[in-house]
Amino acid sequence: MAESKNYYLICYDIRDPKRWRKAYKLLKGYGESIQFSIFRCRLSQRDREQLRWKLEEVLAEEDSLLIAGLCQRCVQRIEACNRPEAWDVDHNLHQIF
Amino acid sequence: MTITSTEALVESQETIRVNALHALNYCPRLYYLEEVEQLYTQDASVFAGRRLHVELEKDEDGDWQQFVLESEKLGLRGKVDALRTRGGQTIPYEHKRGRCYRDSNNKPQAWESDRIQVLAYALLIEAELGIIVPEGRVRYHADNVLVHVPLDDQGRQDVLNCIDKARQLRMSSERPPVATNERLCGRCSLSPVCLPEETRLAQGTTEQVVRLFPEDDERQVIHVTEAGTRIGKSGDQFKITKRDGQVVTLPSRQVSQLVVHSFAQLSTQAIYFCAEQEVGVHFISGGGRYLGSLDTRQGSIQRRIQQYKALTDSEQCLKLAKQLVECRGQSQRKFLMRGQRNADEHREALEQTIAQMQRTLKGVSTAQSTASLLGLEGNLAALYFGALPHLISDNVALGMKFSGRNRRPPKDRFNALLSFGYSMLLKDVMNAILTVGLEPALGFYHQPRTQAPPLALDLMEIFRVPLVDMPVMASVNRNQWDVDEDFNVQRDQVWLSDAGRRKFISLYERRKEEQWKHPVTQYSLTYRRLIELEVRLLEKEWMGEGGLFAQLVVR
Repeated sequence: MAESKNYYLICYDIRDPKRWRKAYKLLKGYGESIQFSIFRCRLSQRDREQLRWKLEEVLAEEDSLLIAGLCQRCVQRIEACNRPEAWDVDHNLHQIF
Repeated sequence: MTITSTEALVESQETIRVNALHALNYCPRLYYLEEVEQLYTQDASVFAGRRLHVELEKDEDGDWQQFVLESEKLGLRGKVDALRTRGGQTIPYEHKRGRCYRDSNNKPQAWESDRIQVLAYALLIEAELGIIVPEGRVRYHADNVLVHVPLDDQGRQDVLNCIDKARQLRMSSERPPVATNERLCGRCSLSPVCLPEETRLAQGTTEQVVRLFPEDDERQVIHVTEAGTRIGKSGDQFKITKRDGQVVTLPSRQVSQLVVHSFAQLSTQAIYFCAEQEVGVHFISGGGRYLGSLDTRQGSIQRRIQQYKALTDSEQCLKLAKQLVECRGQSQRKFLMRGQRNADEHREALEQTIAQMQRTLKGVSTAQSTASLLGLEGNLAALYFGALPHLISDNVALGMKFSGRNRRPPKDRFNALLSFGYSMLLKDVMNAILTVGLEPALGFYHQPRTQAPPLALDLMEIFRVPLVDMPVMASVNRNQWDVDEDFNVQRDQVWLSDAGRRKFISLYERRKEEQWKHPVTQYSLTYRRLIELEVRLLEKEWMGEGGLFAQLVVR
């Protein structure tokens, strides 16, 4: 099927600063960090698998990683029960500088 | 010339990847698109498979070996995943994420493509390491099944046949037909490129399109209009530094195009990065003229050779040009008909023009040459632009009125808007052509005269009315423009000012985000997506799967 995109919360604990930096930089390319160690990424299945593969190459056995997929309904609920700035969304598909 | 021919020679002797044999057994067309036309799009399962291998690698303690093997004699090369010694014998393992195939007795079997793949590895090991390999094994992780595949005479023969077939296909200039088994396409990573659904529709072998072509590319288009802005790369991000020192970072996966207006700085690192990430880079001059794009099409010459063949055939060109003129003319006419509803004063004039356009359009199908077609198109354009001022409502500021199309440079504000709009459209069409990998300099209708790329000018015709004329007219009628602030007027030449340009970019980009239901395939797509679809459909015209090109007529 055609690709649809979903939000994912990506949380991690990485025990080594070197690996942490690598993972952080990588994740920055896919989405935005919303709190320490928590990223929010809007990904297609393809991007998600690509990211998981790349992360797997960086992470070691002792690190932990949690990827939580959010459905439309989940996102609505997050928006409903949080402060507005907790889930700031920019719907624009273009930006002008 | 000599260089080209030696390269072709080397190419023909090059060994075949074992993975390619896997693709060939899945679908010959997939193999052809990947190996001959050199299109790769990795889908989710490709990455999931790679991750599986990384994970396996971490789990194994010590006896994991990877070999990169190549055999000139077999004509094969490949990376063997895992080689284990079991009972004194060396056995290649292949790990698959999915499920195994169940035969009629519900016994687990390897899929044909996997079977050939693991046997090919076995043969490769035999040939290069000089040992006897009795069998290969495939582990299916989804249902945790291990399948033994014996390397018997039949197996050997099958692999050799497969290599033969792969070689022949590589030499062929015919793209194989789409798979008859539609279920294969749903899981294929190349379906948005191959467009099997659309081909079946055009050939009349299906009624309904399941829609494998994604409805939108949700990545952002970034316009940099302020001179002196620096665009760089930092990690996997784009870093945009404004002149006042303010920094904005953007995740690179969320960017589809960088459009540089006037003189912003783009670092070499960023350019490399764009090329890698398939981010389009386009340059628009300060005056609003399209200057050029970063062209990263490597290889994929096969598609262009097909294009050269097709578009040097004048009959093919005429046929396509007719469809194009018809499409644009009808859209223009329909747009005027839309305006008819509210234009009380000018209703009669509009009616006349509309009728006249219809008569002219009748001549299109019988046109004998591109020259006569150009004449007809000229007439249509004259009629259209003659009547277009009637669609402007009466309460619009005097400065926004116009009395006909002029350009280079535009003489009034309305024409300035149209000109800038067409530049933006040209940029997007070029982006699509480069993404698909066609040659923008070889078109079928516009003649190569200036440096403007003819194919892009051709394809633009389809979208002029819906993407530029309509939103410009609507914005003028809504009084969205400030006659003084948004324009720079120098004697009788008019350009958009910085503020005007920002406004226009917003207007245009928003229009592109709107959806349009494709009249033939019956699914909705954003205009952003439709432009690329149209280029792909055009390419199908000369690959013998045509019939859907230039059907986008405004209703």
